[in-house]
Amino acid sequence: MALAPMGPEASFFDALDRHRASLLAMVKKGAGETPDRATRVPSSSEVLTSIENIIQDIIKSLARNEAPAFTIDNRSSWENMTFEDAFGLQMRPQCTTRKIKSDSLRSVRKFALILKILSMIYKLIQSNTYATKRDIYYTESQLFRNQAAVDSIIDDISCMLKVPRRSLHVISTSKGLIAGNLRYVEEDGTQVQCMCSATATAVPSNIQGMQNLVTDAKFLLIVEKDATFQRLLDDNFCSRMSPCIMVTGKGTPDLNTRLLVKKLWDTFHIPVFTLVDADPYGIEIMCIYKYGSMSMSFEAHNLTVPTIRWLGLLPSDIKRLNIPKDSLIPLTRRDQMKLDSILRRPYITYHPFWKKEMEMLADSKTKAEIQALSFLSSDYLSRVYLPNKLRFGGWI
Amino acid sequence: MERTALAVCEILRYLIIHWKCEAGIPKGALLDGQLAISIEALPSKHLPDSLRCIITIASAGNVDGGLDFKKLLQDIQPALPRLSAKLTLASEEGGHSQDTSVKAPCQMTFEVDENSRSLMTDCLVIKHFLRKIIIVHHKLKFNFSVTVNGILSAEIFGAENEPVLRLSNGISLAVGFQHYVSSKPQFNWTEPHCSRLHPVLGHPAPLSIPGAKANMGLLGELTLTPAAALCPSPKGFSSQLNRISSPYIFLYGPLGLPLVASDQEQPSTAVFRDASYFIDWKKHNLFMLPNLDLNLDTQFILPDVNYKVELPEENQSQNAQGPVLLLFLFVDFQSGVPVHQGEIWGLHTLLTTHLSTILSESRSTVQDSIQSAVDQVLELHHQAAKTHQRLQASLSVAVTSIMSVLTGSTSSSFRKTCLQALEAVDTQEFSAKLHRIFYDITQHQFLNHCSCDTEQHLTPEKKISAQNTKDQHKNIGLEFPAESSGQAENKRLKRSSPNQGREESRTLGPARDLSPPESVTRDCDPTEASLTARGSQTQVANDGVQAADAASPLGGLEDLWLQEVSNLSEWLSPGHRS
Repeated sequence: MALAPMGPEASFFDALDRHRASLLAMVKKGAGETPDRATRVPSSSEVLTSIENIIQDIIKSLARNEAPAFTIDNRSSWENMTFEDAFGLQMRPQCTTRKIKSDSLRSVRKFALILKILSMIYKLIQSNTYATKRDIYYTESQLFRNQAAVDSIIDDISCMLKVPRRSLHVISTSKGLIAGNLRYVEEDGTQVQCMCSATATAVPSNIQGMQNLVTDAKFLLIVEKDATFQRLLDDNFCSRMSPCIMVTGKGTPDLNTRLLVKKLWDTFHIPVFTLVDADPYGIEIMCIYKYGSMSMSFEAHNLTVPTIRWLGLLPSDIKRLNIPKDSLIPLTRRDQMKLDSILRRPYITYHPFWKKEMEMLADSKTKAEIQALSFLSSDYLSRVYLPNKLRFGGWI
Repeated sequence: MERTALAVCEILRYLIIHWKCEAGIPKGALLDGQLAISIEALPSKHLPDSLRCIITIASAGNVDGGLDFKKLLQDIQPALPRLSAKLTLASEEGGHSQDTSVKAPCQMTFEVDENSRSLMTDCLVIKHFLRKIIIVHHKLKFNFSVTVNGILSAEIFGAENEPVLRLSNGISLAVGFQHYVSSKPQFNWTEPHCSRLHPVLGHPAPLSIPGAKANMGLLGELTLTPAAALCPSPKGFSSQLNRISSPYIFLYGPLGLPLVASDQEQPSTAVFRDASYFIDWKKHNLFMLPNLDLNLDTQFILPDVNYKVELPEENQSQNAQGPVLLLFLFVDFQSGVPVHQGEIWGLHTLLTTHLSTILSESRSTVQDSIQSAVDQVLELHHQAAKTHQRLQASLSVAVTSIMSVLTGSTSSSFRKTCLQALEAVDTQEFSAKLHRIFYDITQHQFLNHCSCDTEQHLTPEKKISAQNTKDQHKNIGLEFPAESSGQAENKRLKRSSPNQGREESRTLGPARDLSPPESVTRDCDPTEASLTARGSQTQVANDGVQAADAASPLGGLEDLWLQEVSNLSEWLSPGHRS
């Protein structure tokens, strides 16, 4: 690509190229490919009909003198999860459900709020307008009481109707950033060039509407934290490692950031790496990008990129690089519980190296942030650690 | 109180004390028997415009005779200073009772001259006294007949086979609302209500007897135990948001006998003239004034003390009245040794004249005990009302949302299906029906979760009470025949009772503060009595010990109810999230 700044010489990317070749071979075999159902986006009229059917069921229930209830798949139980290495976490077809009853003091309020948001979604679709979850909350903030209630109900509705959130005309404000070798056209025709510079581009709110994506990137690096992302931008990491793309979800990624990563993978099939803290929460965030979260497992096929690899910071790196102990942080009880919970997850058996790293973390009883590398040198991360990892295939 | 009425009440009280003490009936057990009170009035030959009244009191049933009549005369005379008539045993001078159906091992008579107005008042006062007795001694039955110039009027007073709540202080309280308030039109009965009271028992407050009166030779402790309840009891999560309309206070002495008769001039109630003396109403945003306007001519039990709620000016236009707060104050004597008849009688006499002084001496403990019972009842009422408001708000949101989709839909088939389902011709009618059906169904479901006829709260007073309860259940099961008797049934009317053929017994222990009390249990339509005790934990009075009932299986309904209470707490908690 003409605009791409000069990066390392071609041989630098040998290991990456080999990795990409293996990924492409895997894609050809069918693994790592998005399943058919993921491409099916219901039309607006279909969603409207689904909502009308729900209302109709409630009316019929009342006409029978029965208290109506919503039946929603239980999104918070590992028992309802199934794992396929190619797709990540998914809900079982016959999963357990929970009832949101209108005749229970515990749930009558939620029952009413689901109906309220369903009616708001109905109007949004009819008028072909979009609203953020925040917009919906502020429409009736007294009624909803808090944003989390709205977020949870929207996910429940999405799960109940089995349609992506965007089909509900509910969008979330993107918090993620993107930088590097990428250009695309937004839904409204705006051309976006994510140049390698000190500033990053916000992840678009309509990923589905991104068109004409172009890149020469050899890899996509997902950076857990905004601070590290900004530091890498300041160190001209994208130029030094050009051509590449960097993305951050600023912690736990929002839907749009995950959709973007998924879209970039589906479009370019370039290696995707994660740079996260060497702690249980960093690993958790990486898992969300790779295999999805339990609460959004009903939409995993649109969100997960199982080919993601763990580039750093590996717990083994802490020992290998002789990071001094005073740069490390003791694992808290909460950290240990989180680590145990990750180790019990179905996908860990597919990743013996991950398991080993996590056991190392547990044994050391200490964790390290990415910034711990600055003990060695302020630009150690961008100049030494990451280039070496990328050059010599230091991912797992 | 009229002298004749006072005499009758005192004699009845004496007889009941005698039976209870001399027949060796255990303290917790109920008296089972029948008493007949007949008044025969004919024009007086001695005084113009007066009636010569022959008053006969006779007993029957399992009442042991053995009454020492001379002792009765000796004991009772000081209590009847204004009665000049001579009390005689019927066996001495022949009976005058008109009620020949009663086989009377004991029958006594006295004669007085009364004008007709006084006689009427006497009759009303006696009736109220009987009503006060039967709500605590529901196995006692009173035949009360009056014959004036040959015209007979008779009533039977009894509460046998009616639902009762057995309190841990040994008192069994009739909990049918019909004893206490009218069903209409005073209250807003369109709201669901429970046909029973759900009293909260306060912890016993020890009373100290003033020095000069203390020398009665009593070995033990005088205590006051309050029990509070709303009547009618809002059922489930009723919308009865109204403030309580008025508190009724009933005073009982040892053995659960009325402490004072319905006479507002009795000095024993003087201490209650200040409505805030024992109860801080302000914390519930209530302002109380004594209500002296009591009408004797009523079918319901008259309170010994009655307050009325002074409403703020802005609320004075409210017509609907809230429930009545019933407050039963049981003064009793706790002793490790049997208390003799004379001591009980003496105690009654003492309390009748010095109750105000005694309660004032222990104001702080009495205040604490009464306040905690009142607070619990009012707090539950308040919480139920708040919960109902939230339920209503949720249903309103649901209905509005459905209407929004329906009216905004461009699908004629969808609209048609919905309208047809509720048999509505247009969206306006649909909206009205939707709201009503939604409310009815959900309210019905909530009420189905409430049951009190199979609920039994065991006294927290540990195993002794548990054993007593078991024994009492057994006794009741054996002793209660399948017959009915209503309260104040008039012989001229067909005998019937809404509680016919129904038995129930529950036990309630004292609860401090806001432990889950008995009062939260609700009943819709009790059917067959369940005499099994249930395991429950209720906070104990003074020692804070929690005792589970070892004698009772857990019922599923209890779990359901506890779940609802838990839901309610969660719902009302500030950090509640859906």
